[in-house]
Amino acid sequence: MDRAIEKILATIWLPFDGLEVLIAEYLPGQRVAALAAFGLYALIILAGGLMAIGSRNLVRAMLGLVLTFFGVAGMYLLLASPFLAFMQVLIYVGAVCVLIFFAIMLTRNTSEGEESRLPGPGTAIYGLLAFALPLAVLVPLIVRHAPKLQETAYGQTETRLLGQGLITGDVFSFELISIILLVAMAGAVFLAWRRPEPAAGAAGRGPAER
Amino acid sequence: MMDLSIANFAQIIVACLLIIGLMVGNAVVMVYIERKACGFIQRRPGPYEVGPRGTIQAVCDSMKLLGKQIFIPGNVDWLLFFLAPILAFFPVLLLFLPIPFGKFLTGMRVDEGILLILAFSGIGVISNILAGWSSNNKYGLLGAARAVSQAVAYEIPMIMALLSVIFLSGTLNLSEIVERQGSWPWQWNIVCQPLAFFIYLVSLVGETNRAPFDLPEAESELTAGFHTEYSGMGFALFFLSEYANMLLVSFVCATFFLGGYKGPFLDGFWWMFIKAYLIMVFIVWIRWTFPRVRFDQLLNINWKWLLPLSIINLWVTAVVLRFV
Repeated sequence: MDRAIEKILATIWLPFDGLEVLIAEYLPGQRVAALAAFGLYALIILAGGLMAIGSRNLVRAMLGLVLTFFGVAGMYLLLASPFLAFMQVLIYVGAVCVLIFFAIMLTRNTSEGEESRLPGPGTAIYGLLAFALPLAVLVPLIVRHAPKLQETAYGQTETRLLGQGLITGDVFSFELISIILLVAMAGAVFLAWRRPEPAAGAAGRGPAER
Repeated sequence: MMDLSIANFAQIIVACLLIIGLMVGNAVVMVYIERKACGFIQRRPGPYEVGPRGTIQAVCDSMKLLGKQIFIPGNVDWLLFFLAPILAFFPVLLLFLPIPFGKFLTGMRVDEGILLILAFSGIGVISNILAGWSSNNKYGLLGAARAVSQAVAYEIPMIMALLSVIFLSGTLNLSEIVERQGSWPWQWNIVCQPLAFFIYLVSLVGETNRAPFDLPEAESELTAGFHTEYSGMGFALFFLSEYANMLLVSFVCATFFLGGYKGPFLDGFWWMFIKAYLIMVFIVWIRWTFPRVRFDQLLNINWKWLLPLSIINLWVTAVVLRFV
């Protein structure tokens, strides 16, 4: 009986096994604290996600998104990569959310519009499908291939390794991402660009010139 | 970095308490300095009634602020309305933790110290926009919109300027950056990176929403900008965090460019405080000397001058480090 329970528990914890080993290695005797932190971050992520999809108010939804980003940053910290965690906060909370807020303010913000109605049963089914499909693909994969984590010293050389990896081994994908971003930016400028109409005079100036 | 032993935990708690004390004391001292300096520049005495030379005026003002009624306007989003001042105040506490006040006087030794500061100072912007948006006020919303575009713009040259110093030092750890600099002024980073220092100084004023870049709370146009509807402790928290943010960027500036806690004789936290407060006095001096810029001027200064200059500076630094 005991063995069976142990086995079930081991199966449940399989994906997080590497994590536990990693934490037990560097924080001896703190396994419980680490698991509690993991649970807390998972709760924060879920609560933020629920807030983001559940609230009628767009700014509150954005706040939920911020909460989720913080939870993910906490997960990165738990995975012994503070660089990624701080970058997550810097880019997603400091820049992306602020830009989202800008977009919210530029659009009409009403809570009575068509979008604010509760979704019907059809939409709910589609939503459930969209939720279940990635789950069905990912969960067996994760369970079968338990994460092979390398044991690195906590936060010692991680930033240096990351930088060296980006400019040596993975330089091609790194540059490719930059080009994609550049194309997206050029496209945005092209879409927003209004050619100055000679007849309209000063009032017809394009947004880029203002 | 983060072995969570009891001793480290206690250290962080003690550091947080000291930082709260520092923030409150800083606000009181800075209000006095600011009003006196403003009076001197505008040829009037400034506060002089309460206490010797008006020194207790700021304390009385804060007592008055504590006793004020918290007024909530109608139809506000109460959750965000109460959350915004809290979000403005508490992250600042975290930002002071990795600052090396002395050789051993650091709240928390973090390898990515400067990254932590840059990352979590973004929450300040979020609190500003939440305050402006939730208070159901046109002035507040306009102030929030200005805060957003200003913060997004000035963060970039700021990071670029800091990045050239990071290139020089080869580390993100604030204590190590200080260790790489010498005790004498000509051994400080400002000698190798004068342009980065200048760029940082300008974007520091922009980032802390101080005049001449105080567009988000321009009194003559927007009443008080994003914190128009706040009174009592809500306003006090915004006020505290604004002065604490000023102090923080001054500390970072002293750490990166002016040799941190090192001085010509007797290294210690006093050098750090002397340098930081000199920068603060400089910010106050700028505020009462220059008129407020227009919003398009503000953004043009940033995108057309500071950003290209900082990129060129970074590029030259990288090339020099690689080939010289």
